[in-house]
Amino acid sequence: MTPIKIILIIFLLIVLRAFLVQKSLILTNRIIALVMFFFLLFLVLFPSVSTFMAGLVGVGRGVDLIFYFSHLFLLFLIIGLRRRTVVLTDMVTKLSRAIALQNPHKPHDENAQMHEKAQ
Amino acid sequence: MACSSIWIVIPAYNEGKILRDVLRELLDYNRSYHIVVVDDGSSDDTAAKVIDFPVHLLIHPTNLGQGAALATGIEYALNEKADVIVTFDADGQMCPKDITALVDEVLNGGVDVALGSRFLSAPPVGMPKTKRITLKLAAAFTRLTTGLKVTDTHNGIRAFRAKYLQKFRFTQNRMAHSSEILSEIVRNKLSYREVPVSIRYTTYSKNKGQSIFNSINILFELFTGGTK
Repeated sequence: MTPIKIILIIFLLIVLRAFLVQKSLILTNRIIALVMFFFLLFLVLFPSVSTFMAGLVGVGRGVDLIFYFSHLFLLFLIIGLRRRTVVLTDMVTKLSRAIALQNPHKPHDENAQMHEKAQ
Repeated sequence: MACSSIWIVIPAYNEGKILRDVLRELLDYNRSYHIVVVDDGSSDDTAAKVIDFPVHLLIHPTNLGQGAALATGIEYALNEKADVIVTFDADGQMCPKDITALVDEVLNGGVDVALGSRFLSAPPVGMPKTKRITLKLAAAFTRLTTGLKVTDTHNGIRAFRAKYLQKFRFTQNRMAHSSEILSEIVRNKLSYREVPVSIRYTTYSKNKGQSIFNSINILFELFTGGTK
């Protein structure tokens, strides 16, 4: 086994563990994570399979195919994360505004109060 | 004018050093203004510096940005039944006397919004050349994209007839809100006029103010849609 295979397998195991330790992860997602893990493990152990798959869709090398797909995957991930950030920012804005508006410090200066009364 | 309730909204982020002077100048100029300071989650003593002044103080628990602070102050002023709402900067660049002209345009000039412009009168004293060019470009961009005939798009001093602000949607938390306010004027089909104002370029405000590189950020915020 070449060193790169060992590095990749260790990395895959770390990622798998990171998924499975999440208590909130539902069963379907656990299964998806496991299937993905074994699929990627398979590709690491038998790289020629990815080259065969690449040939099927008109890409020269298996590495290139994985490169393209990982780029697409990351792009979708970024869009998803950005959307999530936007939603969260909006929530924080609304919360902060509500807190600020619920706790106003009104003027207590004498002149100001006289002025308020005069109006 | 005496019976109109005029509210000045001042967003402040880490302005503890200068805010007292700004408020004192405003109150000396006209004591009948209702002033609401929105401390935008400052990490300095901005709120503590203001607490003994006859002003309304709102505090954001976290820093959200100038646009969000303005929106909070405006919502507060609307709840307090403001007739005219003026936006004003906390960094001491603006002159209180300009408020009179802006408010007068709204109350007696027949427009819904009065926008301050530093390019209508004599050239602003002490304005860095690069800043001037960036602002002119920003104005040209806004004229192109919104169709508004404005000469100064990123000037924080403006007066609104309050009832129209109720229809405004504020989504830009950070600096792109200036452009958003202009597009809201278009969307709500409001009448507007620019009024010459003077801006003082002090060392403090130059250091605090927008770097010209930030105009790229503003464009980015506009294209990516701010918080929405």
